[in-house]
Amino acid sequence: MNLISITNTKQNGAPVLGDVTGKSYWRSLNQLADTADFKQWVTREFSSTATDLLDGNSRRTVLKLMAASFGLAGLTACRPVAHILPNTKGVEDYIPGAATFYSTAMPMNGVVNGLLVETHDGRPTKIEGNPDHPMSLGAANSFAQASVLGLYDPDRSKVVLEAGKESTFEKFEAALKAANLADGSGLRFVTLANASPTFTWLKSQVLAKYPKAGFIEYEPISHDAMREGAEMAFGTGVAIHKQLDKAKIIVSLDYDFLGLDALSIMLTKLFSKGRKLAEESEEEGEHAAAEHKDEKTENKKVEHAAEHAAEKAAEMNRLYSVETNYSLTGGMADHRLRLKPSEIVTFARDLAAKLGAVPGLNVMQPATDKRGKFLDALAKDLKAHSGECIVMAGPKQPAIVHALAHSINASLGNIGKTAIAWASTKGEVSPLDAMRTLAGEINSGKVQALMILGGNPVYTAPADLNFADAIKKVPLSVHLGLDADETAMAAKWHIPEAHYLESWGDGRAVDGTATIQQPLIEAMYGGKSAIEMLALVAGTKDQRGYDLVRTYWSGQLPGKDTTAKDQAWREALHSGVIPGTKTAESKATLDGKSVGAQVAKIADGKGFEIAFYPSSQAYDGRFANNGWLQELPDPMTKLVWGNALLISPKYAKDQGLADGDMVTVSKGNLKLDVAVMTQPGHADGCGSIALGFGRTVCGRVGKGVGFNAYAIRTTNDFWSGDGFTITKTAGKHVHATTQEHGLMEGRPVVREAKIDDYKKTPKIIEEMNEVPLLKSIYEDLKYDKGNQWGMSIDLNSCTGCNACVVACQSENNIPIVGKEQVLKGREMHWLRMDRYYTGDENDPQVVTQALPCLQCENAPCENVCPVAATNHSPEGLNDMAYNRCVGTRYCANNCPVKVRHFNFLNWHKTTEEVQKMSFNPNVTVRMRGIMEKCTYCVQRIQETKIQIKAEARAAGKEIRAIKDGEIKTACQQTCPADAIVFGNINDPNSQVAKLKKHERNYALLAELNIKPRTTYLAKLRNPNPELG
Amino acid sequence: MAVTFSKSADIYLKVIGAVIGVGVLGGAVTYGYLSHPTVIDTGYQPVQPVPYSHKLHAGNLGLDCFYCHNTVYKAAYAAVPPTETCMNCHVKVKDKSARLEPVRQSYASGKPMEWVSIHRLPDYVFFNHRAHIQAGVSCVVCHGRVDQMIEVKQVQALNMGWCVDCHRNPAPNIRPVEFVTKLDWKPEGDPAELGRKLIAEKHINPPTNCSGCHR
Repeated sequence: MNLISITNTKQNGAPVLGDVTGKSYWRSLNQLADTADFKQWVTREFSSTATDLLDGNSRRTVLKLMAASFGLAGLTACRPVAHILPNTKGVEDYIPGAATFYSTAMPMNGVVNGLLVETHDGRPTKIEGNPDHPMSLGAANSFAQASVLGLYDPDRSKVVLEAGKESTFEKFEAALKAANLADGSGLRFVTLANASPTFTWLKSQVLAKYPKAGFIEYEPISHDAMREGAEMAFGTGVAIHKQLDKAKIIVSLDYDFLGLDALSIMLTKLFSKGRKLAEESEEEGEHAAAEHKDEKTENKKVEHAAEHAAEKAAEMNRLYSVETNYSLTGGMADHRLRLKPSEIVTFARDLAAKLGAVPGLNVMQPATDKRGKFLDALAKDLKAHSGECIVMAGPKQPAIVHALAHSINASLGNIGKTAIAWASTKGEVSPLDAMRTLAGEINSGKVQALMILGGNPVYTAPADLNFADAIKKVPLSVHLGLDADETAMAAKWHIPEAHYLESWGDGRAVDGTATIQQPLIEAMYGGKSAIEMLALVAGTKDQRGYDLVRTYWSGQLPGKDTTAKDQAWREALHSGVIPGTKTAESKATLDGKSVGAQVAKIADGKGFEIAFYPSSQAYDGRFANNGWLQELPDPMTKLVWGNALLISPKYAKDQGLADGDMVTVSKGNLKLDVAVMTQPGHADGCGSIALGFGRTVCGRVGKGVGFNAYAIRTTNDFWSGDGFTITKTAGKHVHATTQEHGLMEGRPVVREAKIDDYKKTPKIIEEMNEVPLLKSIYEDLKYDKGNQWGMSIDLNSCTGCNACVVACQSENNIPIVGKEQVLKGREMHWLRMDRYYTGDENDPQVVTQALPCLQCENAPCENVCPVAATNHSPEGLNDMAYNRCVGTRYCANNCPVKVRHFNFLNWHKTTEEVQKMSFNPNVTVRMRGIMEKCTYCVQRIQETKIQIKAEARAAGKEIRAIKDGEIKTACQQTCPADAIVFGNINDPNSQVAKLKKHERNYALLAELNIKPRTTYLAKLRNPNPELG
Repeated sequence: MAVTFSKSADIYLKVIGAVIGVGVLGGAVTYGYLSHPTVIDTGYQPVQPVPYSHKLHAGNLGLDCFYCHNTVYKAAYAAVPPTETCMNCHVKVKDKSARLEPVRQSYASGKPMEWVSIHRLPDYVFFNHRAHIQAGVSCVVCHGRVDQMIEVKQVQALNMGWCVDCHRNPAPNIRPVEFVTKLDWKPEGDPAELGRKLIAEKHINPPTNCSGCHR
């Protein structure tokens, strides 16, 4: 009944004035329960018992009753009743409707990333990177951005399950007590890779009580090879930190450090520093301001600028990438070599041999083909840049490749310069071996209690372990998870897990910096965290997450007395960083013999090879039920809602395969039916498939989406394997992609140049497009007063990582539409990430381009709107008045860059009450039949403007100008590469104005005289002259 | 040939057509009139869970608007006070009153009072109290003489045309900030004159473009 639902939340998710009750928003949803009673009560109005309702009630009640029945009769239907529910007790410093920010951390794959989370009235709504955190510096990746939606996932597990049936936590506690665990020899814990000091402390407590208990950290997207490789090369526990900003030559051996293999955005930050030419433009701007009137100096200035540009550009780093599948890192690379997984290992060996990094190694393959030439040129380039280069191997590569990379770095003198050794603990046993042992123990009946604290091993464990059957043999199997997933169904007990945004915890970042993970909201379904489960098993005095974390850190934080410790704790919570916890630097000396011994074991691959990689959407499957991520186009394939077996166009042609053809991939008794998709630039004779799809027990979003690659992933073929057979079967699968083709139709949409050419003629970028004499039939408006907003996107540092796309989606309440609608081209992303191929289809280069609304000064959309729903603001924004739009779609038709999106259907029809909590209350939720688009996050602009004005007026001062960088758009704020700059172009000293004076600056489709406010900085490649 | 329709049928047809036409037109006009904010919103006076009299509190007793709606000058929302604010006085004053029973219950149980919202803008409009108060727009401009209302009702239509009128010509509605909550305040001389002076002094420049209010 409408009348009832309207009383709780505005349609746009904004809380009705004061519709909050401090921390627990749930209280107002409890109102929903109350209103259900109310509904019943109202329907009884004409029943015989109606009179007893009136007894003992006040006049108010009668009136309320009357008002309600009038409402039902439709008499007041034109003005629905909305309630205001204020707090009962005042909360200090709490202002309804005002956003507050808290620092916290998101644990993922053994590290945490420092975050700053925006909350509205106790609801976390937007994730940002914590600017104070050394491994975040204000940026967050797409997974972190999307995790807020996971918190409000209506399919999250809400109740304790015993054998699939609803139970209670008390019953579970009783069952745990009843289990005779004795010395713990039958007690095993399986967790995800974990970085929590409190967890480690509690683990020791558990081991004190049950000395023979076992802990296994199994991470499906394992980074263990990196640790093992370092141990192999250096003999001790060290982690190599890549100081990429100091490296001139960067070599990636299947290391997607700009994308899915990165544990923090730090590597992107450091890498993009070496791709920036920004300093040049700053100085140029000053020159321009000083010498503007003098024409002679003007000419000199141009010459000078050209020289200057050349100087600076020469310092740009050079990236070589050797990989199987096209990754973001491959897309950024100046040179890319595509090889089968097994060939990457031999390539690493040969490179080490060529450089003499490992004594006694000979280059085994002749240097005539592309690979050979690449190897020779790369080796020469590395030699020439000793101490200023770095060779890195990816987590998907075996330990030996890492060891070889370390050997090369050591021999070139990079250790301590570009590759810095950090102290690390030596691993005890490889998690894969531990999983094998565990499966054996379970099958022999040795395991009495199995506690799975997070993760979904029934789905993610290697197929040869047959974990789904094994877990059933354990008398007491417990699963703690966010979802009632595959493991929850197989385990005896399932306990709902508290989301990281609703539980206390802690963790260490890549560099060891510790952060307290503070909750932003009370656990909505009473979930438990992993540390609380450990505390329960250990029987510690404290049982609540807060007490556990507090107790642990009060022993660690500095301070003599409780007051000082209290202060340190508060500071740690506030800043999101615990000072002095960074990992110490250590020394690393190469153990050449050990590496040499391992090199001998390298074998060539045989037959068809398969490489697995983490999905940019579901990751290992944990985000499968996250709609934002499912509909986030993969950076390279542009696939949404699914995965595919990626093969090269040549291999597809040879085998007679086309996009969408079903094939069976098999090895031994394992097989997988999967649809193929051609990926330009993929290595021949092998295939790649993303993990994380084909979930069978999952929420409404992720169930049955894509193909489950885990079906053929074994402990031996963990990241890649050979000897697979691939046979075409009947049937066709429809892939949904958001970019049908990657060509530019002859238009210079993205512009790139070789650095040498740019050095010679900096005008080359501008000259790529012939712009005719531009004259508008309308009078040109002058935008020269006040703030004039503009944006600059640097294609030279944009990696295409998609963080901005999700940030935009979260900030602007952009809906998802589902696979069927994407196939009709109805996806709604205001900011889309385009990917273009150039060159040979089997070995192309890639350029990515983030494309929001360009805010054209001569906007073609505005002229054709029959109802003036889109107009220009005096500050140069192409405003949208959603309430005016009647949905003719003329504007979208007339938009040359197609950044307007139409709500063909009511995408919020199925949005549940709990999901509405994720909405940004400062942005309208658009309904069916409305056009929408990017407006440079105008809500942030207005907020800042109002704040500045109000503060000045309250203090009786002059209104100050908005500082450069004071307003950041959501995309700019989260960009790990700092590729997006937004600001006032009317201020010659603003960063954006300076960038727009740059020679690399160009406007999209300038020949149309649209005068876009968003312009691009062309991409530069820095190729090795020897490779051309 | 037999005549199927008599001559008068033509007239009947025209009359029926005219009646339907007038009916549809009349219906549209009526609907347009009835659904206009000046009709359905102006004068809206719902029944509140507690018969709180603004006239008594703000008028007779002279409580400042800020006492309860204390976020207006620092936030977009004008917060409705927590039950605790009522109880500041009512633990002592009228502490046995039957009418205040819901307030006491709310305070004791932690269950919020369910006030009925009166001034409610559509979802796509983002009104900011702080911006208006600091510019010197008095409460009375939009909310009327609340200090004379026993139970609050909406006096202005709050439709877009009404907002834009003031955004285009704010002078008559601008006053020194210290008087914004003095609902009966009148300047000496022409209010527009003073308004123009204040506008010049404080650089008041209300937006008239879409994104000023629609985001």
